[in-house]
Amino acid sequence: MQLYAAIAVLLMTTLFLFSIRLFRRTKSNTIVLTGLSGSGKTVLYYVLRDGSSHQGTVTSMEPNEGTFLLNSESNKKGKIKPVHLVDVPGHSRLRPKLDDFLPQAAGIVFVVDAVEFLPNCSSVSEYLYDVLTRASVVKKKIPVLICCNKSDKVTAHTKEFIRKQLEKEIEKLRASRSAISAADISNDFTLGVPGEVFAFSQCRNVVTIVEASGLKGEIAEVEQFIRERVKP
Amino acid sequence: MLEQLLIFTRGGLILWTCKELGDALKGSPIDTLIRSCLLEERSGAASYNYDAPGASYTLKWTFHNELGLVFVAVYQRILHLLYVDELLAMVRRGFSEIYDPKRTVYNDFDETFRQLRKEAEARAEELKKSKQMVKPVNNNKKQGQVQKAGSDKGSKKSGGNLAADGGDGDNGKGRKLENGHSHGNHVENEETRITGVVNGKENTSSNISAFDVSKLQKRTKTGKKTDSVVNKGSKVDPKTKVTKKNRVWDDAPPQTKLDFTDPVDGNGNENIVVVAANQGESMMDVEEIISSDSEGEEDDDDDVEKDSKPEAKKKGWFSSMFESIAGKANLEKEDLEPALKALKDRLMTKNVAEEIAEKLCESVAASLEGKKLASFTRVSSTVQAAMEEALVRILTPRRSIDILRDVHAAKEQRKPYVVVFVGVNGVGKSTNLAKVAYWLLQHNVSVMMAACDTFRSGAVEQLRTHARRLQIPIFEKGYEKDPAIVAKEAIQEATRNGSDVVLVDTAGRMQDNEPLMRALSKLIYLNNPDLVLFVGEALVGNDAVDQLSKFNQKLADLSTSPTPRLIDGILLTKFDTIDDKVGAALSMVYISGAPVMFVGCGQSYTDLKKLNVKSIVKTLLK
Repeated sequence: MQLYAAIAVLLMTTLFLFSIRLFRRTKSNTIVLTGLSGSGKTVLYYVLRDGSSHQGTVTSMEPNEGTFLLNSESNKKGKIKPVHLVDVPGHSRLRPKLDDFLPQAAGIVFVVDAVEFLPNCSSVSEYLYDVLTRASVVKKKIPVLICCNKSDKVTAHTKEFIRKQLEKEIEKLRASRSAISAADISNDFTLGVPGEVFAFSQCRNVVTIVEASGLKGEIAEVEQFIRERVKP
Repeated sequence: MLEQLLIFTRGGLILWTCKELGDALKGSPIDTLIRSCLLEERSGAASYNYDAPGASYTLKWTFHNELGLVFVAVYQRILHLLYVDELLAMVRRGFSEIYDPKRTVYNDFDETFRQLRKEAEARAEELKKSKQMVKPVNNNKKQGQVQKAGSDKGSKKSGGNLAADGGDGDNGKGRKLENGHSHGNHVENEETRITGVVNGKENTSSNISAFDVSKLQKRTKTGKKTDSVVNKGSKVDPKTKVTKKNRVWDDAPPQTKLDFTDPVDGNGNENIVVVAANQGESMMDVEEIISSDSEGEEDDDDDVEKDSKPEAKKKGWFSSMFESIAGKANLEKEDLEPALKALKDRLMTKNVAEEIAEKLCESVAASLEGKKLASFTRVSSTVQAAMEEALVRILTPRRSIDILRDVHAAKEQRKPYVVVFVGVNGVGKSTNLAKVAYWLLQHNVSVMMAACDTFRSGAVEQLRTHARRLQIPIFEKGYEKDPAIVAKEAIQEATRNGSDVVLVDTAGRMQDNEPLMRALSKLIYLNNPDLVLFVGEALVGNDAVDQLSKFNQKLADLSTSPTPRLIDGILLTKFDTIDDKVGAALSMVYISGAPVMFVGCGQSYTDLKKLNVKSIVKTLLK
């Protein structure tokens, strides 16, 4: 009789613990930095981590990742959750690496070069379209921050201009892509509302756009975004 | 003198640059090195040449795979520095001692580097002095001895210089002389020609000038050759005295009607009722379901085990098992050798060109050397994983292969999007041109064909038939016209009647045929197409390397513009005829850097696919 009671108690406790583990969804603290090659992701990564980009960067061949407190918060007291920041190379041959990190992302920072924007406009919008139509991004409604980097330069475009251009290009992409896949990556979803001109506000996940400068360290808005995603 | 020496992580952060070595580098040689060489799996090459307006550099590099560091030395191309390789190795050893993943500033390395550089330069000076001492002694001896010593010296010198211009070593075959000094492999040959001369240098320079002139003459001779297409007009023999009788092969009754062509009316136009070809959805738009990877991995493990067992092992079985469990200290080249050889053989059985397989294996070796083996992994599985990653990287397109988007972009600018199909004879250009036209039509793009194959009999009729079945306009001028002019007029016609795309068919030509290649280059230069598509068949073996490299080279050489158009994309045909010997795709992409845009897998209109990178890599490594 006692044996049965003991077994029953054991079963109950294990079930209880299991159910707690299932229901307590651990929130991810991964933020993914992505964008075209040369847009300033590695610089941004190091500025967020250390406050400066040290002696400069070259084209990345591998992702940079690390879990740390943002540099500006290292002086704050209290329990702050460290951020797992991942800088994915932007070179087109290394695009498949993005798939390794997207599923666990809590937020995406899409870095755009505000100075060399117009020559690369089509590649930028194509990549952005790819990111915004990935299954993992759409289903989990991962928020995307479009960061117009290098905005300290005189010839940098404003974020309004960039936003309008991107919306126009994505509208064109919508028309030409519809249900066609590009290379191996399949666009499972389409963007926007059929019949209306595309605007970022139509995306199911939140897309915001800010200006920043990695080299000068003006990254307050980016940090704010990251902080909002990774709540302590 | 060294221009610059950089140390950076694979993630892109520069850890250290030499501060005493002057000014900034012109252009962006490091980024170009990474993009065109290291990421293209050519890291097994000895050096890389970079040209920027105002400077021409040679770059050499070495990796520290365990720590994930890259060491790059940049110097002027005309200086053949001998000590760079040694210096890089010493720097690597010195830096890996003080490296710490958390540190980002390494100012203390300046001192170490200064010493290392002095050492390396001193050693190079010694070598040079020893060579110079040998030289005047030789010139006093007899002729025969001069030749012998000269060749020795030449070989030593060229041996030394090979290290410095490994990149130039490829030019050793042809007698291409670069501006500036002409050391290197030529010294050997030239010095054996010296017949008792006081100063070897003078003679070589006079030899060079003599040779230059003769080469110049040879070049002008070929330039004067007319670039007319070889015309094998077959003249029908009018006088046949004996009428031919039909040959009877077997007991079958003789056929009376041998002519199966369609009935022709008065002006030669065939008047058949043509129904627009609609054979359903082109396979370009069908998603390919990729089978789950787990099954493949298990198969791989079994296969690899079977492969590794018959391999001769230098160490005992027990020690290798122990190492695979405990994790070996560092991977050396000898350990990688058997695994790489097995992988190379496997690639070659899958019809990858031998040269390409060799280069790939060298590149993978360069990226794995010195790396620590994780515990519970075998060397072969690490090599396999690295090779898989390298293959995926090569086959992933560098630029967008979304043609529809480019077509729409051209449409907005009110010009037609011109695609030129080039290739050797018999690969399937005209057939696949029709397939591409069918696919484009399905996406509501208006297409026009241009029949610029004015040589092969029946080429124009073939395209005419396709055009009629697809109900699209065709621009043709018959046979024996200049293809470049026909193409130009076709594009003008397309602009006039508002076609979105012009597909230009050209005659097949062998890559060695100089006049034909010049004609092709003229066509491309004159019309400046948006896409130059090289059509290659999947059955080709080692010739793929030759075809593509010669096509690219001829297009670059014979073009008269400063920025020559090269091959932009590859169309792989006859893919249904090879089962799993898919290596031709890899050879072609590696040698040209152009992505595979279409894959032809049959002879009907719908048999056009996209290249599925993951399945190709899986098939290659199976």
